[in-house]
Amino acid sequence: MDVTITVNGKERSAAVPPETTLLTMLRTNLGLTGAKLGCDVGDCGACTVLVDGEPVNACLMLAAQVDGREVVTIEGLSGFQTLSPLQEMFDLFSSFQCGFCAPGMIISAKALLDKNSSPTVAEVREALAGNLCRCTGYTKIIDAVMEVGARTAAGAERA
Amino acid sequence: MVIKVEDTLRTDRLTDLKEAGDSAGVPAVARERGRAPQIVPDANQQTPAVGQRVTRPDSRPHITGQTRYIDDMSFPNMLHMKILRSEYAHARIVNIDVSEAEKMPGVVATLTGKEIPVNSFGPSYQDQPVLADDKVRHMGDGVVAVAAETEQQAQDALARIKVDYEKLPLVLDPLEAMKEDSPKIHGESNIYATKVIRKGDVEQALARADLVMEARFSTQMVEHVPMEPHATIAMWEPDGRIKILSSLGRITLGRADMARTLDMPVNRIQVVGTIVGGNFGGKNEITTEPVLALLARKTGRPVKGVFTRKDEFVSSTTRHPFIMDYKTGVMKDGRIVARKVRIVADGGAYCSWSETTLGKGAILSVGPYRIDNLEVKAYAVYTNKTTCGAMRGFGAPQVCFGYESHMDDIARELGIDPLEIRLRNVFDEGSPSPTGQVLHSVAVRESLDTVADRVGWKEQTQ
Amino acid sequence: MKRRGRGIACMWYPIGFTVAANPSAAVVKVNEDGTATVLTGTVETGQGALTVLGQIAAEELGVAAADVHVVSGDTDATPMDTGAIASRTTYVTGNAIQMAAAEAKKILFEVAAPMLGVRPEQLEARDRRIQVIGFPQKNLPIGEVANHAQVVMGRPPLGSASYNPPTVAMDPETGQGKPFSTYVYAAQVAEVEVDDETGEVEVLRIVAAHDCGTPINPTLVEGQVEGGISMGIGLALQEEILFDDEGRQINPNLTNYIMPTSLDMPEIEVDIVKNYDPTGPFGAKGVGEPTSVPTAAAIANAIFDAVGVRIHSLPATSEKVLMGLREKQKAEQKRIPAE
Repeated sequence: MDVTITVNGKERSAAVPPETTLLTMLRTNLGLTGAKLGCDVGDCGACTVLVDGEPVNACLMLAAQVDGREVVTIEGLSGFQTLSPLQEMFDLFSSFQCGFCAPGMIISAKALLDKNSSPTVAEVREALAGNLCRCTGYTKIIDAVMEVGARTAAGAERA
Repeated sequence: MVIKVEDTLRTDRLTDLKEAGDSAGVPAVARERGRAPQIVPDANQQTPAVGQRVTRPDSRPHITGQTRYIDDMSFPNMLHMKILRSEYAHARIVNIDVSEAEKMPGVVATLTGKEIPVNSFGPSYQDQPVLADDKVRHMGDGVVAVAAETEQQAQDALARIKVDYEKLPLVLDPLEAMKEDSPKIHGESNIYATKVIRKGDVEQALARADLVMEARFSTQMVEHVPMEPHATIAMWEPDGRIKILSSLGRITLGRADMARTLDMPVNRIQVVGTIVGGNFGGKNEITTEPVLALLARKTGRPVKGVFTRKDEFVSSTTRHPFIMDYKTGVMKDGRIVARKVRIVADGGAYCSWSETTLGKGAILSVGPYRIDNLEVKAYAVYTNKTTCGAMRGFGAPQVCFGYESHMDDIARELGIDPLEIRLRNVFDEGSPSPTGQVLHSVAVRESLDTVADRVGWKEQTQ
Repeated sequence: MKRRGRGIACMWYPIGFTVAANPSAAVVKVNEDGTATVLTGTVETGQGALTVLGQIAAEELGVAAADVHVVSGDTDATPMDTGAIASRTTYVTGNAIQMAAAEAKKILFEVAAPMLGVRPEQLEARDRRIQVIGFPQKNLPIGEVANHAQVVMGRPPLGSASYNPPTVAMDPETGQGKPFSTYVYAAQVAEVEVDDETGEVEVLRIVAAHDCGTPINPTLVEGQVEGGISMGIGLALQEEILFDDEGRQINPNLTNYIMPTSLDMPEIEVDIVKNYDPTGPFGAKGVGEPTSVPTAAAIANAIFDAVGVRIHSLPATSEKVLMGLREKQKAEQKRIPAE
């Protein structure tokens, strides 16, 4: 069956068997390998992408369910040589180690910051609870998100 | 006035580092309550380089999703492999019939253990088959591999493979497995490694002690859970050399394992260690690399194999559960004069990194303490469970749980503060270790003092 | 009712393999513009090894981390390495890289010496320059020297070296010997809150002090401590592979194998203990594994402090804590004399 989704602002189509997950379509058909396969059953969050602005586990959605909708993946957050503010902080804080959970983690963090530009630590922990990380202990990830929040708040105060 | 060249020498950089502090360019380091963590945007351009909070050069690919882990890679004509694992924890393989599976749509080839030139590997003893051929010893043992056009087709074909097993009695408890009459997993005995450390006269010292305390502590089997499952791609180059792209954490030894199992010269094998999505010890030995190489040769096409999350749990290695018996003799003032430790390490079905784990565990098991009379006896035992191997700490987290829990029990019994009793016993610079080694660059006391200061330990106890 | 407690634990941990040879080899090339390329057979598994190794080469050559590119992980193109295991990379591979960089630097000094009118032993590499010790005004940019070396003198500044930690075999009867070249030390304190009605344990705060010799990159050391603590918390309270009577794993998935999420992590404070090991590269030792060693013990001791229950087997599930509380209650009731 033909599925058409708007990915990172561009309309993309592929012909896929009906049981194909969104994750498989992104990785195999559309060449967007940023979202990762960690468990395939929605436990680890490595496949997190935004569907109509909401963070979802792409392994739990069928590609058909996303037909006609908007998807944002990690590849959509940065330009060729530019990084989003959140990614800048991940770089400065070294908020990743092996990097495998990073795409999903950053998408979940972005979803939070889009709704709540200066969250508390508790709110960040809550928002990232579905993204497993084995390397970092989450500490520097939370630092990076809080720093973005703090800078946004400081910018708003100055404005 | 004569100025000697030596007098005008700048302070040696090494001296700076020895006296490390802000002045030497090595920033004072602490992640503190209420203080924002440190970031230094231009650290990568600073000299001298040691001590700088350099950001990682591989940062950008990771945070933009551009990093190519093995599963992100694809090659023209590539096949996908899945593995059928054992139905039983201990059984003889009587017959394998792949005929139905080979007829399934998309299936190009299968592989069994008998087709592997040298079907054994292991960092200490080569007691582990790449694919089980005569016996299975735990449910994670791979028995048959299938290569197909898609992962789903390979997975579907597994259901059509018929394996006839003759069940054997199994043993899951390591203490049971040590007994004479226990089912045997390899050879004549399930005890496959023993470590002994002895110093002084532990029985005499125990007899002289003011107090003797004993306790048993045990730890569980846990898994590394790297976020990236094991993944490998194998392909033959036009010049007849095999190229392996793998999530292996040590490629020199991986290449040696390939040379052994495939019976090939070392320089005909190229192992490329790509970016690994977490290791923690579980990716320190080959898993399916030889299988993929042989399937690639059989089919003339590149073959990729990626563990499912279930494979990660049942087939990749785990942490050794330890059963630790501690017996310690102390004087009233808290000085430890004798310590006896017995460790039984549950090794699962194959040796893997058990020798190393047992050895390190045994050496570390008395704790960072000055003890003149000690005896450690440690055993690694086979059971029909998931193979235990290298996992972050090689026995250290287990024995630390043992000796530090024990220490607080002793402190409570003697009415001495837990921090104080440790300070009375820890290593100093130049102390002898349990194996008689003179220790240098010792920092236990400083570590304890540092954490105690941070939490206000002494103030709260007063 | 919730009760708070704190527990302390200290540890020691070795660097490298037990007695057995575990060498690393390295190649360092200084390019014609003074930047450098390092070849190492180790593999980056997320800990930041390549960053740290680059910093070691940069320090030896007197340049910045940004001036060094590290190539790794190809058995055809990079020299042998025993691997990223046993917390050995900074120490063993680091030493090999420092020595290889020193070899390349020797060539730079031999080429620069006549250019500066001094002897090679009067030179040092610092701040991207080759300069005279004690008279830094006399110097040349490292790029100029490197270019002159390769293009004019025909001596590309290239160095290779290998390192293996010195050990002494252990006696088979007594275990006496020198199994490792060096060790690292640490202590952690855990503050917990135990619910004495449910047995649930919440870790509120972990304070960690880790010795790693010279911290080559403090951010990456902290990252190891924080990550190691999360594994320690999992070991202490949550994780366990369970088997049925047939030897089948009951929970081979992330739904039922419980490991720490962002909600389970406490406040963490990290101190790097000041230390220097002369046998390591610029005094460094290692830190990858030690970080997860004392956490479970500190938490178990904190539970003991909070509610008087001694956990003898990990993980300290709420069932075990509750059982301990009930046993303690029973024992206390027995001690109350009948009226």
